[in-house]
Amino acid sequence: MAINPEVDLYAALNVPVDATADEIKHAYRQLARQVHPDMQTQQGTALLFRQAQEAYDVLSEPGKRAAYDRQRVEAGLSPKSVFQWKMQPSRTTLSVGVDEQVVYLLFDVAAGQSDQVRGRQALNVCLVLDRSTSMQGSRLEQTKASAQRMIDSLSGDDTLSIVTFSDKAEVVWPSQPLTDPIKTKARVSAIQASGGTEILQGLLAGLAEIEKRRAQYAVSHLILLTDGQTYGDEDRCLSAAEEAARHRIGISAMGIGEDWNDTLLDAIANRCGGVSQYIASTGEIQHFLRERLQGLSSVYADNVRLVLKPIEGTRLKSAFKLSPYIERIPFESEALTLGSLQSDSAVSGIIELVVGPHEAGTHRLAQMELMGNIPSRRLDDAVLRQDITFAFDPNINPNTPAPSHILSALAKVTIFQMQEGALKALEKGDVAGATHRLETMATRLLDMGEHQLARAALLEAGRLARSGNLSPAGRKAIKYGTRSLILASPKER
Amino acid sequence: MIECPSCGHLHRPGTLFCSECGVYLLTGGPLRTEPLPESDLPSTRADPWESGEKAGTGEAQRETMLIIVPPSGRQLNLPAEGEAVIGRLDATRGVFPNIDLTPEGGLEGGVSRRHARIHKQKAQYFIEDLGSANGTFLNGQRLTPYLPHPLHDNDELQLGRVRIQVSVR
Repeated sequence: MAINPEVDLYAALNVPVDATADEIKHAYRQLARQVHPDMQTQQGTALLFRQAQEAYDVLSEPGKRAAYDRQRVEAGLSPKSVFQWKMQPSRTTLSVGVDEQVVYLLFDVAAGQSDQVRGRQALNVCLVLDRSTSMQGSRLEQTKASAQRMIDSLSGDDTLSIVTFSDKAEVVWPSQPLTDPIKTKARVSAIQASGGTEILQGLLAGLAEIEKRRAQYAVSHLILLTDGQTYGDEDRCLSAAEEAARHRIGISAMGIGEDWNDTLLDAIANRCGGVSQYIASTGEIQHFLRERLQGLSSVYADNVRLVLKPIEGTRLKSAFKLSPYIERIPFESEALTLGSLQSDSAVSGIIELVVGPHEAGTHRLAQMELMGNIPSRRLDDAVLRQDITFAFDPNINPNTPAPSHILSALAKVTIFQMQEGALKALEKGDVAGATHRLETMATRLLDMGEHQLARAALLEAGRLARSGNLSPAGRKAIKYGTRSLILASPKER
Repeated sequence: MIECPSCGHLHRPGTLFCSECGVYLLTGGPLRTEPLPESDLPSTRADPWESGEKAGTGEAQRETMLIIVPPSGRQLNLPAEGEAVIGRLDATRGVFPNIDLTPEGGLEGGVSRRHARIHKQKAQYFIEDLGSANGTFLNGQRLTPYLPHPLHDNDELQLGRVRIQVSVR
């Protein structure tokens, strides 16, 4: 039967466009009972019954439904959805009679089509700047200059606060709308370096400033700049970050030089849907701040979560975000935290599923829900739902190659995991294991044409074998280098 | 379970990369050898139908010796059996070419593990590209993969970016 995209089959069954297979079946059965010609003799019900049957015929079959959806989109008839969602599996057909097999799902979330072109989001931002003695000189001067540039780029609708910290925190500029940028910049100029590094102090003071005006703004974000280790307050920093996440305050962290605690800053940013960044040279500070503000002002949705509910026997093994860089997605009770989504760029990621045994046929392996808060629409927990179904076929060739972009993404994720493995081995004191992993990783990097990163890894492997330690600079170069592999292949760079 | 061809680690079917050694499980190698920029390689192609001197014609067969000299200057003789694979040694993957170009910067120079083969038929030496990622060039001309091409004294071979000098004595 040819499907006419102009007929709204979802309306015929009275289900939303993102209805699951179960919902469609349920709706059809209910409707069929009501309008069945045997039950109703009223004129026109026969037509209704036929329409319901036709709609069910298409919507109950994943292939037909996808084709129909596609035609609707092409004909411009698709209703406005909150998110655009794409998912591609590493193979569409799975094997029969296998205890456990693996399938990868590459996904892509973007803002709903109608929402992509929108104005700038007003921001509530707090800059938390390290002014410890080690920042003295170029680091602090560049930081101050970058902060002043940032003040110029903010608009009158934005609220800014500035906090500095050493052993204790000072509020340099209390939270207020930017009405007099010159005055704010003058305060920044007066910042002087001295004292130690206590990140917790800075975080708490910054979060307090943001909290003052949080209710008026859709986007509240704290940007932390530091160049040193904080001692003894790491756990409390993390609890502060978790508390911030509960209040929907994002935190991004920037580490300058080699001596800061990458594990801590990554964890803080990860918990709050922010980003972390390694700044090797002070000249990059300004660039990072500008990018961060741009990203924040184009936030479409925050607290975006992907909830996967696998059927019994299927489980989620790992999940990685691929944009803006490779990052392991922590999952608690099947919810994958994706952070915030910008209106002008997609968030993509890759999921590894372990699938239990199945008979031949088509089976649903999981149900997925995409959720997020969309400030511009005053929508909380907007949901998009979809079933993840696979065909199982006994005659499938197990060596069918996966789509090439899944392969190239996975190749990079694999390297990232080897790096994680090396650092984990080192943490446990397994120097030989860590060295071996770094060396193997270097070989793979050479295979990929990543010569610079490969050399860094080999150098560190050699150092590790001889001294039992990584150099702080090498450790960061490898960690932030491997996670950025996804950005561009050397050819494109 | 499927076994990693490189390190032997076992994985569930459907797994694409080895978590231990990072290789692509379908081939046991990298996803691909990174192609070198086009500008790094000569652009003309050798005539695939050019044939060598017919064996047995011309001068009487005499014992010849093929020596190839890579940029490092070390002299490599064709083994007595008259056949050699040139490439890059990779012990973990069990690739042991007769002539290993690793010391000549084979890896960075884009030399594949099994890059090319030289063999002798009657008195004539032939070079054959083994489907290498970056190609084999004879006197600046790219060889059609798997099609043997005659080799002469003073010919220059280029494997990826690594150049070697041929001399027949």
